[in-house]
Amino acid sequence: MASISSRRLQKELKEIKTEGCPVGITLLEAENFDKWLFSIEVMGESQYQGEAYTLMFRFPPMYPIESPAVQFVVDQTHQSPVHPHVYSNGHICASILGTDWSPVLSVVSVCVTLQSMLASCKKKERPPDNDQYVSRAPDNPKKTRFHYDDDTV
Amino acid sequence: MAEVVRRVPTINDLRVKLCYICREEDRFDNPENPPRIWTHPCNCTLVAHETCLLQWIQSAQSDISRAVNALKCPQCGAIYELESDNPLPLRILNVGNKTLSILGRAVTFTGLSAVIVSFGTGIYCLSTAYGAFALNQFVGQEMYDLLLTHDISAWPWHAFLNLPLIPIALILSRVPLPAAVVPIVPVLLAWPTSTPIATRERILLEHWRSSSGVLGSDVATGPLISWPPSPAFFGLLLFPLVRAFYKSFLIRFTHWVLNTEPGRRPPVMRFILALNAPFLIQIGANIEPPPAARANGQQLANLNADENANRVVAAEDVIQVTGSSLGRLVGGALILPTISSIMGSFLFRLSQYSPLLRRFLAVRPSVVDIPPPLGPWSYSDNWNKLGPLRQVGVAARLVLSVAWRGTRTWTECDPVWWRNSIGLGIFVVAKDCLHLLHLWYTKRELETRRVKNKSFESVDIRELDLIEPAGV
Repeated sequence: MASISSRRLQKELKEIKTEGCPVGITLLEAENFDKWLFSIEVMGESQYQGEAYTLMFRFPPMYPIESPAVQFVVDQTHQSPVHPHVYSNGHICASILGTDWSPVLSVVSVCVTLQSMLASCKKKERPPDNDQYVSRAPDNPKKTRFHYDDDTV
Repeated sequence: MAEVVRRVPTINDLRVKLCYICREEDRFDNPENPPRIWTHPCNCTLVAHETCLLQWIQSAQSDISRAVNALKCPQCGAIYELESDNPLPLRILNVGNKTLSILGRAVTFTGLSAVIVSFGTGIYCLSTAYGAFALNQFVGQEMYDLLLTHDISAWPWHAFLNLPLIPIALILSRVPLPAAVVPIVPVLLAWPTSTPIATRERILLEHWRSSSGVLGSDVATGPLISWPPSPAFFGLLLFPLVRAFYKSFLIRFTHWVLNTEPGRRPPVMRFILALNAPFLIQIGANIEPPPAARANGQQLANLNADENANRVVAAEDVIQVTGSSLGRLVGGALILPTISSIMGSFLFRLSQYSPLLRRFLAVRPSVVDIPPPLGPWSYSDNWNKLGPLRQVGVAARLVLSVAWRGTRTWTECDPVWWRNSIGLGIFVVAKDCLHLLHLWYTKRELETRRVKNKSFESVDIRELDLIEPAGV
């Protein structure tokens, strides 16, 4: 059952521990195979210089056949980055988390993709439908059917 | 050696196989136990367990938005080719299934439209039946038998327009719309002016039988001002007038009783009538600026009042959907004819003790001698003597008379509709009074509300910072 996801996550975790994460990405918490937390920071010159965000992964039992639910943590101490594809509740509109998910991707590769998504941002702004979406968004971003209208992510 | 170079390596030649899906390894010198089938389905270096890959494909194909990627290698984009046992029977079955699902869609479509059509027809029949019932209740059995009878095939054409409109008009009249529909008007205008079914044959018969040749039209005569008022006069003038006057009076009276400021928001009454009382009163109580504010400055009070007015408008939107239940609205509307009938017969019973009331209600014995419709011209001899111009004039008078007073049958009958209308009016007034009383009591309850003050009986007194410490 859950063994598919836990066995694969075990291997991913081992890899992270032996080889370490790419620059700017830090594993904050991986106490179980349901939820992991990463800190993500954009290196070099960018709109988000000196800012660190927390990324939360939630894994369905069928991971990696099913995509993980990934979002930025938003609470009293954490904010989501202001980005045209990131809603203020932390939900991310990125096709690799939805229709373009593939089992070849991994937790680290998702982190790297999102890091570069932030790095390539030209202008800090919220998605145009932010307020509308946030007011009725489900708790789990996977329940949202995003419309991916930008190929740059 | 040469042979080895020419031979293209396959999945079985890999020293280490790493499944790109589950990330499990399989080393050639330490094979998995039990062994699983490996596959290399594309043009790049990715390999996978066949079971893992099939699981992924099946999962991705089950979701329409992901199905395009199901058979595509995520790295090189090559399309996976699936081989499967696909014998003729399965293919036939698949084609059959596809045809059936297309047929199914067609059936769904036609079925749905059939349901809509039959539903509409059902609603129409139901509305018509209800309309007939309402008419029966409103005009009384005697007149109903003359106007409609139970033989549907004999109904006049406008019955099929008028009757189904009755319940709709009744319900609409209770919805607070600016253009309130008066439900009685179409009934009062259409029915009295058309020749009742039952009399149609009688006219012909009489015409042939009478030697003097009475112009056997079903036209009533008499002075234009009559008692009870003619249906056209009542429906077009009296009823709307009384209704408008009553409404404006009720608004003023309500403001006076509830001690709110009239004039600022004329539509107030509209939703007062439609609302659940407690909620409404809260609004009403808010609207009135507190006396202190009034003393501080009228401007502030005005500002508050405007704010409140906005809030009222906002509340109005919500309430129309949530406040009054649909059943209460519809049921309350549809029971009106029955109420009017009950009230009418109650008045009729009362009238037996009061000649004055009897005259007011124009209660009539069933048969009255009606003079020939047009006096001396009613007789065909006289009619023939008239010049063509006079004939046109008389005919015009005939038409006008029918339009104004209704046909003879209508005038001849006991005016049940009149006492029922009066009865309904009394009922409406009584209902509004009761409602107002409820509003008033609720308002008073709200105004007299206080939070009950308690002593520090249950608290340790030493914890309190008292002006005069108890211990001293």
